[in-house]
Amino acid sequence: MNDRPVYLDYAATTPADPRVLDVMRAMSGIDGVFGNAASTHVAGRRAAAAVAHARAQLGALLNCEPTRLIFTSGATESDNLAIRGTAIARAGRGRHFITMPTEHKAVTDSFHALEKEGCEVTWIAPGREGLLDLSELAAAIRDDTQLVSVMHVNNETGVVQDIRAIGGLCRERGVLFHTDAAQSAGKLEIDLGTLPVDLLSLTAHKFYGPQGIGALYIADRPGCAVFPLSFGGGQEKRLRPGTLPVHLIAGLGAAAEVAAAVHNDDLLHVTALRDRLWAGIADVDGILRNGAPDATYPGILNVSAGDVEGESLMIAMEPVCVASGSACNSISAEPSYVLRALGLDDIQAQAAVRFSVGRFSTVAEVDLAIERFRDAVGRLRDIAPAA
Amino acid sequence: MDAGDPYNDVVRACFADPVHAGDPERRYTRNLSAGAEESAHGVRLVLSAGIEGNTVKALRFRVWGCPHLIAAAEVYCREREGGEVEALGNLDVDEMMERLAVPVSKTGRILLLEDAARSLFEMAAGKEG
Repeated sequence: MNDRPVYLDYAATTPADPRVLDVMRAMSGIDGVFGNAASTHVAGRRAAAAVAHARAQLGALLNCEPTRLIFTSGATESDNLAIRGTAIARAGRGRHFITMPTEHKAVTDSFHALEKEGCEVTWIAPGREGLLDLSELAAAIRDDTQLVSVMHVNNETGVVQDIRAIGGLCRERGVLFHTDAAQSAGKLEIDLGTLPVDLLSLTAHKFYGPQGIGALYIADRPGCAVFPLSFGGGQEKRLRPGTLPVHLIAGLGAAAEVAAAVHNDDLLHVTALRDRLWAGIADVDGILRNGAPDATYPGILNVSAGDVEGESLMIAMEPVCVASGSACNSISAEPSYVLRALGLDDIQAQAAVRFSVGRFSTVAEVDLAIERFRDAVGRLRDIAPAA
Repeated sequence: MDAGDPYNDVVRACFADPVHAGDPERRYTRNLSAGAEESAHGVRLVLSAGIEGNTVKALRFRVWGCPHLIAAAEVYCREREGGEVEALGNLDVDEMMERLAVPVSKTGRILLLEDAARSLFEMAAGKEG
């Protein structure tokens, strides 16, 4: 192994696929496709054609009409546009929304902002395994409910929500349904031709595309409309004005095309690695697997090591790159709000480790992660005082 | 230290090889222990000293906490082992935080060390144990 970090943090971001990089390289520079896609000259028309091609590639991946896709800077912007844009567009009809406390911050913070502006949000707590109880959702929907937002795959635990059932219930009750698919697009099959989803957020860098580009799908259904959050041009149906980043969009399209071709192989690959990883650490004393084992995206394995401090566990595992259940080495000392919502106490939550494997992960990397994890837990327990 | 690395070289070295972690290897004339904890995050620290006369012959720590606290405890023990009892109470929190580049948000962790050190010194000075 070279000095490349042992990267098992694919849920945070993925390295771009070489096939994506080839496309993006060809787009750059004077001999590439660098024009402003809004320009009418030949360079602009070429750029517009590249954007249209990428939109078609993404539409093919999701089985949706390409014109229903709005390019954004990523899933965070898409979530904001979906939630806030819907709230503004439907303000005259009602101001009640439904979501879960285990959503990504892009969603929870959007709803917190709406609450401050007078909207009412019902937060449905998940069960111990992280799943939404459909009967609770059914009971929470009111006549003035405008939008339900439930993510497809949880970014910390990998728990997969049944978006077909959730969306179906929302359709029955006449409520719009948004799902944050940042962790599932390009990894799990998403067929918008049959799924009852009205708004879907995604980002390219979670499925081997470039950072800084994403999309929002907006279904072609009565009442399904969002209001723009920024202004200044006619791009993207005036919903997301600004000069289109053509090379990033081309990268997103290429990543979508590659994903459509290989995502089944990817799934088999990450499932085998995840199973090997779990088999290698499952007998560590006190270990706890977080999230429903039978309803989890196989690229993510979230465990709590019990009586081990999370931040020290992270540094003791270097050079293996994984995510912590605690953010105490950044600006917050708070344990994961997602894991706490699943019923873990603060100690268990901050001691959580999220392993996430992907297309380029190897058996050797997983084996090293197993070794480092076991060693780190043992070492930290050795120096801990009696409880 | 990489750009953006939250740990400086001292912290990394102490964390990688905390030679004073554990308990004194043998019994001394006086064997003292003092601890401190912060229950909200489960952080715990115990200092153990083996004392002969006025000399701290062995000084060890046990920590359940972050790398900064482990490093601070290691530095504290390393620099006082073999010294006089009076040094057990001399801990300049600001100086320790500066040496270890401890973020302000973690001041409480280093104050735990100060609490434990003060308790240990008071026990030693009071000839308890």
